[in-house]
Amino acid sequence: MAVEPKIRLDHVSKVYPGTDTPAVSELTLDIDPGEILVLVGPSGCGKSTTLRLINRMIEPTGGRIYLDGDDVTDVNPDQLRRRIGYVIQQIGLFPHQTIAENVATVPKMLKWEKKKISARVDELLDMVGLDPRVYGGRYPKELSGGQAQRVGVARALGADPSIMLMDEPFGAIDPITRESLQNEFLRLQDELRKTIVFVTHDIDEAIKMGDRIAILGKQSVVHQADTPERILAYPVDDFVRSFIGAGTAMKGLAFERVGDLDLAPFDGPNGNGESGAEPTGTITADATLYEALEEMLRTADGKTIVLDDSGEPAGVVELSHLSDALRTAQDEARRHYDELEAAS
Amino acid sequence: MSESVAPVITKRRADQDDAAKAAVVSVTSTTRLWRRFSLLLAPVLIVALALVLWFYYQSLGVGTTAQIQVSSALDWDTKLRPQLTQHLTIAFWSTLLVIAIAVPLGVLLTRSGVRKIGPAVLTVANSGQALPAYGLLIIFLALLGQGARTVIVALVVYAILPVLRNTMVGLDSVDRSTLEAGRGMGMTRLQTLLRIELPLAVPVIVAGIRTAMIINIGMATLAFLIGGGGLGITINSGLKLNQDPVLLVGAIMVALVALTFDWLGALAERFLHPRGL
Amino acid sequence: MDGLQSWWSYVVGHSDDVFEATLEHAQITVTVVILATVFSVALGIYVQSRPTSKAIALAISGIFLTIPALALFALFIPLVGPGNSPAMMALFLYAILPILRNTVTGLDEVSPAVVESARGMGMSPAQQLWRVRLPLAWPLIMTGVRISTLLTVGIAAIAILVGGGGLGVFIQGGLTRLGLPNSVESVWVGTVFTVVLGLALDAVLSLIQRLTSSRGLRA
Repeated sequence: MAVEPKIRLDHVSKVYPGTDTPAVSELTLDIDPGEILVLVGPSGCGKSTTLRLINRMIEPTGGRIYLDGDDVTDVNPDQLRRRIGYVIQQIGLFPHQTIAENVATVPKMLKWEKKKISARVDELLDMVGLDPRVYGGRYPKELSGGQAQRVGVARALGADPSIMLMDEPFGAIDPITRESLQNEFLRLQDELRKTIVFVTHDIDEAIKMGDRIAILGKQSVVHQADTPERILAYPVDDFVRSFIGAGTAMKGLAFERVGDLDLAPFDGPNGNGESGAEPTGTITADATLYEALEEMLRTADGKTIVLDDSGEPAGVVELSHLSDALRTAQDEARRHYDELEAAS
Repeated sequence: MSESVAPVITKRRADQDDAAKAAVVSVTSTTRLWRRFSLLLAPVLIVALALVLWFYYQSLGVGTTAQIQVSSALDWDTKLRPQLTQHLTIAFWSTLLVIAIAVPLGVLLTRSGVRKIGPAVLTVANSGQALPAYGLLIIFLALLGQGARTVIVALVVYAILPVLRNTMVGLDSVDRSTLEAGRGMGMTRLQTLLRIELPLAVPVIVAGIRTAMIINIGMATLAFLIGGGGLGITINSGLKLNQDPVLLVGAIMVALVALTFDWLGALAERFLHPRGL
Repeated sequence: MDGLQSWWSYVVGHSDDVFEATLEHAQITVTVVILATVFSVALGIYVQSRPTSKAIALAISGIFLTIPALALFALFIPLVGPGNSPAMMALFLYAILPILRNTVTGLDEVSPAVVESARGMGMSPAQQLWRVRLPLAWPLIMTGVRISTLLTVGIAAIAILVGGGGLGVFIQGGLTRLGLPNSVESVWVGTVFTVVLGLALDAVLSLIQRLTSSRGLRA
């Protein structure tokens, strides 16, 4: 690990006054610059508490928190929070302020120049796909849920913080809008490269959004923290296995693309005759294995034709390709964990 | 006089903002705490005030060592007791009449045919708060002549507003879907009124009646101005004679009466609350 | 019609007196309401996050409102003597509850998500109060101020009974001369002008409420 972690939680604990069992117990976690780390776990596991410990919305009762190597456990929390974007499920836009005023909140507190603030507001609204001339002067009550959450993200990005904390940001939004917000956000993140800690209870959202996922159990104990591929290929214990639930193998198929496989040759319309019925379905090379499986099932052929960029058949993907790919991923993950164990 | 105004606004604003629901829960729990606290605080205060009054009255030496002016103004059998009776009689009849008029009127004004004029009535009812009780009393004196009857008529006119307003607001705030459900089960309009709307509106209506009762007890203090009697006489004697003891005994007695009946009203409000609300 | 005509000629004939009494009535009301607003909003902010203090403050200010006006006015006479002062002190106590209750309710109603996001962006407690919580509670606070104003205007008419001034002077004057010419007109002047003053002050406050509340908060 050559890079210094952007955020380091070092044995961080939270015990609420009047209780014996900690809400968060001795949590140690490193978050690398530019990655999206998803905290996922059943409700009540303390994942939101963990997130709120990072910007000290909740004061930790033990352990240290480091940002960029600096211990921020005791700095002024208000100053700290102005450096960290924070997005919550209920959004919490200020209903008495216009969208532009909402987005300008943190820059204003940091006493930016007026011109710089208004330029920044326009830039941010553009970035989240809202025309500043149309929406800047509106009030939050005039927005749809999806638009409000875009503004929430823009507001959190106000002073260009390098860290974003997001607590189930898309949780209250209808599934279709959520999907498009997730995609847009990932596209945005490709440009911005923020360090993001993202809380969700939805494993599918975690798989989609996370560069890495930390699966938390009671008292925020980390059961497994790894890339979605490895977690799906190799859940370390029963807790993780039951949490990621049924269809784990199939979910794993979504991480590989057909074009990366060693395809069987395509022998023309009747050429593959001897190995069974000829495939009728087609997919493109950038389709995932999951999409390939779906096409095989749809056509009931057990295989499907892969088309290249010009639309010409480039090869055939068969069911065995998929199971091989899964096995390879599992082997890779097992080897990785064996090495880890051997090292420790 | 304004008991119901804020809760109504509260409700409307809360509906606007789903995210505020959690906050609304805390509002109601505060209100409940406050109510419970008032319910406990009032009797303590009443007893303490009564004791203060008792010892103060004893220390004055009414009928023995006190000045003749003080003694005659504060004599229990010829002054204070009859005044207290008059005071309560006035407040009782005016409150009863207010209920008899305002509740049916409120029901009438919330029926679908005349519902449109409801908001206008409420606006008038709200601005009626600026109506000076004193002026109203004297106007009725000029119209109807002296006496307790005139006082009662004036009080009814004055105190009708809160009961009317609360009846209308209480009936209006019954959830439409509850009414739909009732109608859907085949209830007639009268049945939905008697079995759903009115029972659900009772707490708000009782709150209005309590307000009216307190207004009536307060205004009965002014009854002396038009020959209607009441404890106002003693306060006024204290003012006229420049005798603070007389003034204080009168004022504390009035306060005691008001606090006691307000407390009884609070108890009624609490126990007439339908379960589950 | 005759009555209205004679009333109007009475008003015109006594316009200076009517104006002065209205002005005094307005001064009493405005002074009391301003003081009560400052006191109640400050108290409301202080007690809002303290459930026990909140319950005590609301219960006590509710008790004041229960005590009949003449009695409360009279209770202050031994302390400050007759005049406008005992009336204003009592009126101040009456005016507390509506403003206090609406301040507390308004602050209570601010969505926790809004406060959470304000805090999350690094606003200090004072910034959260001034920039977010008070502006959001403001329309409701102003409603409380309006209620208190109407209440104060109406009750202030009996200040005359404890030696004070204001429009009650005309009511009292009419009462003492009842049966003589112009006595009823005088009572009507006191009553009508009190109501008109109340409505005028309410209109002004309603305008202020509109101008000082964010457009984003309107229904």
